[in-house]
Amino acid sequence: MRTMRRVSLLAAALATGMAVSSCAAAVPAGIDYKAVYTAPGPDALNGAGEVDITVWHAMTGVNGATLQKLADQFNAQNRGRIKVTLGFKNNYDDTLSAYKNALRGSTLPDIVQVYDIGTQFMIDTRSIVPMQSFVDVDKFDVTDIQPNIAGYYSVGGKLYSMPFNTSMPLLYINRNAFAKAGLDPDKPPTTLDEIMADAEKLTVKDSSGNVVQYGFGASLYGWFLEQWTAVAGQEYCDQGNGRDGHASHADFVTDEHVRLLAWWQRMTERGLALKLDSDTKNGDTAFESGKVAITLESTGSLGDFTKAAFEAGAGYFPKIDATDSGGPIIGGASLWIVGRGKDDAHKRAAWEFTKFLESKDSQATWHTSTGYFPISRAALDTETDRQWVAKKPQFQVAINQLQGTKLTKATQGCLFGVMPQVRKAAENAMQAAVLQGKDARQALQDAQDSLNRPIGDYNDAVGG
Amino acid sequence: MSKLNRPSAATSTLTYVWLAVAAVVLLFPVLLTLVGGFLPSSALLRQPPDLIGGYTLDSYLDAIRQVAVPLFPAFLNSLFVGVTIMVAHLVTSALAAYALVFLRTPLKTPLFLLILATIMVPYEAIVVPNSLFVRSLGFGDSRFSLVLPFLASGFGVFLLRQAFRQFPGELKDAATIDGCGHLRFLFTILLPGCRPAIAALTVWSFLQGWNMYFWPLIVSTTNDSLNTLQTAVFALRSNESAAPGLLLAGITITLVPTLLLVVFGQRWLVRGFTAGAVK
Amino acid sequence: MTRHASPPSTAAPPVEPVPGAESGTGSRSYLRRLGGRELPLAVVFLAPAVLGLGLFVIFPLFPAVFLATRGSDIIGSPTRYVGLRHFAELLTPEFGQVLWHTLAFTLIVVVAGVLLPLALAVPLSQRLPGMRVFRSLFTLPFAYSASAAAVVWLLMVDPGTSPINWVLRLVGIAAPGWTTDSNWALVTVAGVTVWMVSGFNLLVLSAGLAGLDEEVLEAATLDGSAGVRHFLSVVLPMISPSVFFVVVTTTLTALQSLGQPQVMTDGGPNGSTSTLVYSIFNQAFHNNNSNYGLASAQGLVLLIIGVLLAAVQFGVIERRVHYR
Repeated sequence: MRTMRRVSLLAAALATGMAVSSCAAAVPAGIDYKAVYTAPGPDALNGAGEVDITVWHAMTGVNGATLQKLADQFNAQNRGRIKVTLGFKNNYDDTLSAYKNALRGSTLPDIVQVYDIGTQFMIDTRSIVPMQSFVDVDKFDVTDIQPNIAGYYSVGGKLYSMPFNTSMPLLYINRNAFAKAGLDPDKPPTTLDEIMADAEKLTVKDSSGNVVQYGFGASLYGWFLEQWTAVAGQEYCDQGNGRDGHASHADFVTDEHVRLLAWWQRMTERGLALKLDSDTKNGDTAFESGKVAITLESTGSLGDFTKAAFEAGAGYFPKIDATDSGGPIIGGASLWIVGRGKDDAHKRAAWEFTKFLESKDSQATWHTSTGYFPISRAALDTETDRQWVAKKPQFQVAINQLQGTKLTKATQGCLFGVMPQVRKAAENAMQAAVLQGKDARQALQDAQDSLNRPIGDYNDAVGG
Repeated sequence: MSKLNRPSAATSTLTYVWLAVAAVVLLFPVLLTLVGGFLPSSALLRQPPDLIGGYTLDSYLDAIRQVAVPLFPAFLNSLFVGVTIMVAHLVTSALAAYALVFLRTPLKTPLFLLILATIMVPYEAIVVPNSLFVRSLGFGDSRFSLVLPFLASGFGVFLLRQAFRQFPGELKDAATIDGCGHLRFLFTILLPGCRPAIAALTVWSFLQGWNMYFWPLIVSTTNDSLNTLQTAVFALRSNESAAPGLLLAGITITLVPTLLLVVFGQRWLVRGFTAGAVK
Repeated sequence: MTRHASPPSTAAPPVEPVPGAESGTGSRSYLRRLGGRELPLAVVFLAPAVLGLGLFVIFPLFPAVFLATRGSDIIGSPTRYVGLRHFAELLTPEFGQVLWHTLAFTLIVVVAGVLLPLALAVPLSQRLPGMRVFRSLFTLPFAYSASAAAVVWLLMVDPGTSPINWVLRLVGIAAPGWTTDSNWALVTVAGVTVWMVSGFNLLVLSAGLAGLDEEVLEAATLDGSAGVRHFLSVVLPMISPSVFFVVVTTTLTALQSLGQPQVMTDGGPNGSTSTLVYSIFNQAFHNNNSNYGLASAQGLVLLIIGVLLAAVQFGVIERRVHYR
């Protein structure tokens, strides 16, 4: 009896504790937002001694090692002034989850790397110092940053975070298979129709009619749908692609999307395209193993693809119609400086490190070691970078594609607080149409409808 | 022995054919795991995989060397989880079962019912409040958050209570009259006397902890140093899918303890369960 | 040890009120003297188990109900009371699909996960050379955790390199889209689970068969319908406790599977392998979701299923199981 009473007392105590801590909402009362958002000047570091800052990131393998190298370099230059410690958080989703948890009451990092689709969410947490504040205070020259890259992370003309690791989608081809099929490997297909025409020649069947090599095969990755929309010069959601205010709905049901999915259905029905799910790892394996001759992937996969047993080539991300005049959106992640609970010295130290990473030499190192885009235009002119690009001609395609894309709201990309869910819903639509054979328009409509509630809930919660 | 003991030639041929077919189908993935780790990834990126020749230790070295998903700390975490849960289950279950069987305990039946009722609650049903709860207790970044909700087991109490009840009453009385205290009786007479049930609970609890997936997945989300081998396998696949050789080498490393347990420990497991639960 | 039949289950076994410390016959006065000290001891002995289970199994049910009636802000903290809204979301066709996938998945796993090991255990129980080796080999999949099994099987069915597809092509069969065709995806994910549980189930069933008299078994392994009939009418009832045990444990394993759908298909294509546990994971912890309210409501559904299963096990099946 006594035990039970003790247990229930403890339980009650814990329940209360939990309720209290969970009532601490995203925006606790009593926070001076002006103080959070304000960027301190260079004198903030005076007399602060050595300032320790923590950076949460999700860079694995070589990328992580390169980031560490850059951080070591920075620490050596700033001994006694600033010390950067990196905290690795598995992957982008986990990094953002960790940040969410920290917002509920534990220690926040000074810089956090967040993927592109977390942009609106990060703004809505009201816990960060907009990068623009530092740019303004320092009169920092941002013209060197590739405008298409900075464009994604700018909302209302204000740069919120510093782009860091940036990628773009490309069309990849198996050059050997192209040559064997009598196609010109230097002329990768540029439209859906051209892909179909090439795939007819590239698809190889064995004597019993089974397909040995498919002409085309790409993961049903939601990011690609966003890309097609941008290439078509269209916006993916309302409110100027979410750039003029919180978007209220995604625009999935468009004639272009219907045409795209119907095309994809025809490709699989005719045995010209391999059916793949949304896991890009499966798509990568299919391309690397020679099972498909044309695929779609990010520039980030270039390194792995060049290691395949055949010669991989690259082309622009394809258009739905030959007349499409837009261009692809950048992806990847950016760095956010945390303002909540941070004093001026820490904010300033975080900015100093960000500036260092953005410099052309750091970017050249970053670009040539990892294969990500250099965000700085000057970095492309460094000697290291020139040599590297000369060895990887496929990357020149990506650079041309980036620089040839006009920055519009469409190519800036759509922002949603719940963008990860929007992407997942797009994948559901693609899977429903291509894998389940549902009517393309209906599949898109269902997916779009499924988002009404999460988007509405989110916008209610942030009062947008 | 009667002649019945040996099946006819036809029956035995049929038996072997069936078992051989089943073995090929069911064991190919095991073969692929064990052999694939010794192959370069290029041999596995072909259809069919080239399982003969070209053996190398590179994939193992890469799996151990890669720093994205360190396997050794994950191994230690898994060991910590398995052993802690095992020991905790044994201690909490033995003590509780002892009180329920041999001690004059008030509210014995309701308490036992309450403990039994917990078996019906799938932990996935309460994983959300538990994750918030453990975090609010401030254990979010410690290894203990991996095991905290699993230190007691309703099934363990039930299994040991069942075994204790079958312990001959006369022995207990004799021990009591000899002036044997409860603790001594429990540890020197009762537990050794219920070895099959104890062994079963030991193996079962260890495997429960070792193979746990959902909970470590959400705990390690915010702190990858809390990866167990099971979540590390998933993380490894996310990072190294282009290198199936490395992936299979990593998986083989994670399998070693359970393979040993399955090969050498299955007798205890079965005997324990058949004694305590089946018959 | 007595041969007393005890309930063969990890789920809730039936309860007979136990007469506590009255097993003794002699020296009552001594026992009574001891009884004075027994109460504190009993409290100390029970405390760890009761606290552990109370805090982390029973108590969380209350916050689960609390969370299920709240909305949440963008970082997942519960906000205002939303009444039964999350429960209303359980009445949608989408959640009906989730329940249907859970049922289909569980059925496949339980039926195949018991029949396959049974079809192996019976021939393995014969006195033939090599049977022990075969049995040990067949138990190896038991060593795989959910994520390890899922990753290895992903290689087995990889659309680009699958060795299974290669064999099928040799014999002229077009391979299905194992993880991309929505009907096959659920079968594939369930099949991997069957593979995982078959090792343990084989062990338990073999142990059950080993306990039978040899003559009983011999007749069952005779060829032809006589053998089958004998197996169904004589052998099966005699090992029914073992069968019952594996049915119960397999049901629970299937119901609680997360790693297989999460690693292999991520619930897809288009949600067609989204089971209840996957859905809880997805709503609460995946894709930057933190919809703790809906996930908690779905958790309560899982709780009800758990309780119902326990009731079915001990209300209906229990009576039919043959104990010696």
